[in-house]
Amino acid sequence: MSVLDDLLLFTALASVAIIVVRRFASVSKLSVIVYALATVLLVKMSALGYGGEPIYSSFTLNVLGQNLYWRFDSLSWFFALITVVIALFTSVFMSGAWAEKYCQEHSTEAYGLLQAALVLNVLSMLVLLASGDLLSLFIGWELVSWASFMMMFLNQDKVARKAAIKYIVYAMAAAMSILMAIAMTYSMTGSLDYVQIMQAVAHLSNTQIALLVTLYGVGFGIKMGVIPFHLWQAAAYAETPGPGAVFMGAISARMGLYALIVIVVQIFSLTRVAAIEIPYTFLNMQNILAWVGALTTIIPTYIALKQNDARYLLAWHGVGQGGYMLLGVMIADSIGTAGGIMHVFNYATYQAALFMAVTAVMFRTGTSNFSKLGGLVTQMPLTFMVMVVSIIGLAGIPPMNGFVSKWLVYRALLLDGEPLLFVAAVIGTLGTILSVYKLVHNTFLGQLRLEHQDVKEAPLSMLLPMLGLVLIIFGTGVMPGVVLDWVAAAQNAVGIAPITHNLGGIELAQGGLDMIWVTGVMFYGFAVGAIVFYFLGGKSKHIHQFDNYAGGHFLTSKVRYHYSNHFYAGLMHLIGGWYKDFFKKLEQALVSLVSFLSQLSENFYRSAQPAVLVAAVAFIALWFIMSSFSMPADTGTVAPITQGIQGGLPK
Amino acid sequence: MSKIGNIPVNAQAGKKRTNPLAGVFDELVQFCQSRSMFMLHYCTGCGAIELPPAMTSRFDMERLGIQPMVTPRQADILLVTGYVSVKTLKRVILTYEQMQSPKYVIGICSCTVNGGMYWQSYATAKVLNEYLPVDVYIAGCMPRPEAVIEGMRRLMRNIEEGKGHAWKDYFQRYDYYLGNQQHLFGDDWQTPTDIIGEARHYGLETEQTYGEHTRILEQHQQPLEPHKMRIKF
Repeated sequence: MSVLDDLLLFTALASVAIIVVRRFASVSKLSVIVYALATVLLVKMSALGYGGEPIYSSFTLNVLGQNLYWRFDSLSWFFALITVVIALFTSVFMSGAWAEKYCQEHSTEAYGLLQAALVLNVLSMLVLLASGDLLSLFIGWELVSWASFMMMFLNQDKVARKAAIKYIVYAMAAAMSILMAIAMTYSMTGSLDYVQIMQAVAHLSNTQIALLVTLYGVGFGIKMGVIPFHLWQAAAYAETPGPGAVFMGAISARMGLYALIVIVVQIFSLTRVAAIEIPYTFLNMQNILAWVGALTTIIPTYIALKQNDARYLLAWHGVGQGGYMLLGVMIADSIGTAGGIMHVFNYATYQAALFMAVTAVMFRTGTSNFSKLGGLVTQMPLTFMVMVVSIIGLAGIPPMNGFVSKWLVYRALLLDGEPLLFVAAVIGTLGTILSVYKLVHNTFLGQLRLEHQDVKEAPLSMLLPMLGLVLIIFGTGVMPGVVLDWVAAAQNAVGIAPITHNLGGIELAQGGLDMIWVTGVMFYGFAVGAIVFYFLGGKSKHIHQFDNYAGGHFLTSKVRYHYSNHFYAGLMHLIGGWYKDFFKKLEQALVSLVSFLSQLSENFYRSAQPAVLVAAVAFIALWFIMSSFSMPADTGTVAPITQGIQGGLPK
Repeated sequence: MSKIGNIPVNAQAGKKRTNPLAGVFDELVQFCQSRSMFMLHYCTGCGAIELPPAMTSRFDMERLGIQPMVTPRQADILLVTGYVSVKTLKRVILTYEQMQSPKYVIGICSCTVNGGMYWQSYATAKVLNEYLPVDVYIAGCMPRPEAVIEGMRRLMRNIEEGKGHAWKDYFQRYDYYLGNQQHLFGDDWQTPTDIIGEARHYGLETEQTYGEHTRILEQHQQPLEPHKMRIKF
């Protein structure tokens, strides 16, 4: 029995236990203990985070003469650590006051199902991360898809249900694409094992590689929500019940990135992918993938800018931040890949904290609609602090951890000589900064509404995990070396030169980064400012919110003076015309095309008009006979159609 | 205009300044203050039309260190550019009270001096400095940009010479101004600002700060305490 066996078995048994006791109040405590123990098991495997040998599971299966097996390498361990730790924070977050309220509003059964969905998500993600060959990868992939669907389907709202159905349609498309790619890989290389495929890839033609990368890319890209498959994710994650959204938003979509790194970076290797030129253009396959990442940073981020609901805004950011990871990984040098992989960790920490803060606000006020919030900073100062620290991370501003990974991606783009991609990434960051300001302003700053005068701070059980995440965000921002150790090991595992780093940051001949110095200088500046404002002057005066300038207007509680509707009117005047809902229309067009075709065939199938059917059958039969004389090769495609129609003749 | 004379710079009475360089510092501060004027123009009447040429390339007020500002909290000058109706006057007073000291008021056009062509109007406040302490009037109907700039320079000269202290008069004789305001708006007149508290903050309260009108105000004023930051579970 290896430690991996322990982990998977333990999580599987824990899932059963949680499902069994889901109606009892003890399920909250049980789940916290489960994730804590799973974290301990992962810590026992921590040698993987510092370049240890992969750990294999002793359970194997034999299919088609292929050995299915499960193993953890440094990359899997890195992703698994994030998954389990976020699940731990989430389970603490949902264990106390939130659980009581949710049980009252819905039912104990609904809460138990949420816990069950969470543990099944964790289990399926661990199975996916542990996969050692293509078939076990596919098994894990499907488990993750259906576990996510279970989580999304818990909210009974019409919007949420629709989003969940939309998700599962996308996920099915992704699974089909991946299955096809796996079948093709098997037929081309005769193996499902990573190592054997890696050796066989050298003999494949560029066309074959391009086809495989496209199919895998579409499959994994749908899970990540990259352009043009970004439409499903935001609504599906945002509408999931609070803690579910925390977990899903933080880590779920990153499974796509994990699989993409394993397949495209590790097995096919980016040098091979970069060798595939796209005909009639100056781009190659790697450029295409990098540009997909860049567009994914820009478009969803600017869609987030227009959202008027805190959860949707965050979920759209989740899609956009995935673009940074893809962009970083696709640069293919040690700095860029490190930035991309490190961003997974950083993003998970601040996205979880942000979703928790928004859920806490919803818990106290009952809404996440910007038009109904504002001025909560005096009532919920600690939640405000959590949100401020997290949005500093999300916007990529020092001294929080988001800065380090974004810096790495920018640095790699500059060193790599990719000015256009660099500008695209910067445009994405600009949108991020604007929309996180919108988030914090419309929720916590501005005018406090009358009905929120007595709102209290979030309860301790919800605050503690938030504050814990804040410590991680700040701690790994000041000392990114802690995470970079793991990232370097993961890079080593997928065959990329590991990044040279120290505790404070990155050593680089062209100018590195030392966050300890950066933070020191920043806090020195803060200290000077604090001395000037608080000790030398001390003349500040606190005033009531109605003692505010509104063009000379007298403010009362009847006059709303909180600017939240159409927040960036000036900016939208400039860029508003660019929002054309292109992808939405494309999706609608596809949907109506499919429904038109199915309607057409259904009508034809069910039609009670024998004359039309006889004419059609006669026509097709005639065509079949004629073509069998002239073009015998076509019979294979025509025959099934005739059979189908003959089978459907009216009774 | 009220005769307030030259009010000494150090407001804390009984505290003798021993630093021999104090005068130098005062002059330096006054010099800097007079050259960094941010004005909030409350464009109430036709006088506002003379401001665009005064501010833009032809007369270019900015070369003198005067530029527009969007909020009263960061502004030094309140520019009232024409007749003030009773309704407008309430807004002007609120805006003035929200400005941070030291603050200056310039009345442009004859209407602010004595009502001008609106002398017979029932809805217009005639003499602006009955309601606010005005530093400089620029008469004319309307005054040309040169006159506007001349008025501004007069204000700057006053500040530099330590004479621009009309704002202190508002705190020192608050009861007088409040009385005129109550006469116009009725006894239930109140703004969300706390002038008496501010007078105390600056050490500018005199016996004329209080009076019968402040007593009327105290009877119905609802103090607006700022929201306290609190952590309550």
